[in-house]
Amino acid sequence: MMRFSDLLSMSVNNLRRRKMRTFLTVLGVLIGTASIVVMVSLGIGFNELTMEQYASYGSLTEVTVYSNQSSGGDGKNEPKRMTDDVIAQFGKLNHVKAASPLLQADTLMSQGAYQANVTIIGVTPEYMDNISLKQGHLPDKGKKELQMVVGNMVARQFSNPKSRSQDYYDDPTKIPEIDFMNRPIFVIFDTDAYYQTQNGGSGDGKTPVKPPKKYLLTTAGLVAGGVEDYNNYSYNVYVDLDVLKSQLKQIFKKKPIPNQPTNKKGKPYGYFIYDQAVVEVDDMANVTEVQKAITDMGYQANSNMEWLEQSQKQAKMVQALLGGIGTVSLFVAAIGIANTMMMSIYERTKEIGILKVLGFDMNHIRDMFLLESGFIGFLGGVTGITFSYGISFLINRFLAGHFMPDMPGDLSRIPLWLSIAAVGFSVFVGMAAGFFPSLRAMKLSPLAAIRNE
Amino acid sequence: MVENKTPMIQVKNLYKVYKVGDTKVYALDGVDFTIYKGEFCAIVGPSGSGKSTLLNMLAGLEKPSKGEIVIAGNHIEKLSENQLVTFRRKHVGFIFQSYNLIKTLNALENVALPLSFRGVPKKIRNEKAKQYIKLVGLEKQMNHMANEMSGGQQQRVGIARALAVDPQIIFADEPTGNLDSKTTKEVLGLMQRIVKEQNQTLVMVTHDNYIAKFADRQFHIVDGKIFKIEEQHHEETKGDMENVQS
Repeated sequence: MMRFSDLLSMSVNNLRRRKMRTFLTVLGVLIGTASIVVMVSLGIGFNELTMEQYASYGSLTEVTVYSNQSSGGDGKNEPKRMTDDVIAQFGKLNHVKAASPLLQADTLMSQGAYQANVTIIGVTPEYMDNISLKQGHLPDKGKKELQMVVGNMVARQFSNPKSRSQDYYDDPTKIPEIDFMNRPIFVIFDTDAYYQTQNGGSGDGKTPVKPPKKYLLTTAGLVAGGVEDYNNYSYNVYVDLDVLKSQLKQIFKKKPIPNQPTNKKGKPYGYFIYDQAVVEVDDMANVTEVQKAITDMGYQANSNMEWLEQSQKQAKMVQALLGGIGTVSLFVAAIGIANTMMMSIYERTKEIGILKVLGFDMNHIRDMFLLESGFIGFLGGVTGITFSYGISFLINRFLAGHFMPDMPGDLSRIPLWLSIAAVGFSVFVGMAAGFFPSLRAMKLSPLAAIRNE
Repeated sequence: MVENKTPMIQVKNLYKVYKVGDTKVYALDGVDFTIYKGEFCAIVGPSGSGKSTLLNMLAGLEKPSKGEIVIAGNHIEKLSENQLVTFRRKHVGFIFQSYNLIKTLNALENVALPLSFRGVPKKIRNEKAKQYIKLVGLEKQMNHMANEMSGGQQQRVGIARALAVDPQIIFADEPTGNLDSKTTKEVLGLMQRIVKEQNQTLVMVTHDNYIAKFADRQFHIVDGKIFKIEEQHHEETKGDMENVQS
């Protein structure tokens, strides 16, 4: 049997013999491959950018649960309230890693001349683990005092009540310098009482209200990110849930805690209920399922997944469309290959006849032509990929900024699998285009060698 | 040689019929003969006599309409096209009228080409090719491309290519048809000598009676039928003497 290396060198020699034609055919495949790869890379880039954007808004495996306010409105049913028991039920659902309530307390914070209305949120330590910090550490476990983890944009909420200027949001340089880490913050939990004293007495003016107590809280850590970089934890202050609970009970004693519902006599319940909870799911793929389970329990559940799924669908459509455009040009290139091979066969009719007379196996004739067309595909694929990387670089460098200035990151992305698949596919296309010509060559008559022209 | 004759090619009752419109044309009309090992035979006839058709069929390039062709014990009329290719690769060398060298290869590579079809490694086949190039006297032109050689030189390369595979039979189709008379003599002398030296079997087709005289036996064919077989024992010595003189 003939050696493969000999067959291969015959094929390559045949291509080298007609350099211009081989070059032009390869060029066709190059353009075809590059257009597919660049198009698909844009699709992938678009998809991944969307994912990254959603991920930056908050974890993609999180489901946020709200107590269903509307179901309380019909008067008959008690509104579905989230208690610790309900949270525990969430925690037991399939695919749920952890469930944490968000216990919110609206407070008034001050440091120096500045003050701000900031929501303190009590969460479980597991929830806290998701927060990435720029400085400091998460609150120590088991401590009785409140230790704050401060969002990176909280400073923007501070203002000097005596000055009139409120343009902090427009100019980042005017954001007050609040030193969270080194100086304590004065925190008023009973804001109602504070405003009543500010207004000089209670609403009915009978009993003078005692000014509420100010608490000195220290900061354990700061959430990662600058004052301009929004993330899920930017605007709030996080503390340990259990510490916050006991603190609130201590502060308000018999009085109803704000945001906590009361019974008909205006007395607080003996337990905490939550407006909001966060459920952590083990995998993105299961988010929708968990979300549905929670909705079925009668709560309102939201996740970034809903939006993501929609934009993923959109991204897939864009990808398919772009890929389709690319495929058309590779198809044209395939026709080019087939044409080149046919011409080559017409030119080499006599030579093929000679080879057949000399005992060149028919299957090897077919293989020789398949190798030639496959090699054209391979060359086109490899050069096409190289070319695509160049185009991709240019798109990312010069074009992406114009079209999507609000989306940082590369618009065109060529993963390794795409490069390998593209080369493989162009080899396949080359061989497929060369298949029928090669069968034709195989069936040529050896008598062509005998004819004298 | 006459004493132990081994039949190499046996042709029995061979017919080839072409249909031209409604009429049948008999290119071969019942041909029988036997060629023995070590013989140099010529098939002679005017154009249209069917001699080329006969050679094509012996080499398995065309299918007979009827009859048997047994070459070295193989019934080649029963083989498929691919089997015929394999048969030629293993048993047959072929010399063409227009030399038919591969233009992109040099002389040595042309001679080595049929060996590569058999899977002979490059080193061995190049050595063997060199040996046959020397045999036909072209050591100096070994690395010349086809278009850098004269017709006679090209045909010598063609002969070396046919010989290099150690075939059992060599077919030659008007091997000197494109050569001048001096070169014709040289090439025929070379073929004659090699057949003798290597005890090869050579079947040559020609329309020229003078050229046919170089053969041991001549089959004269007219209108698809053999009408005369001539033996020329004296030709061997005469040919050799001519060779020595030139």
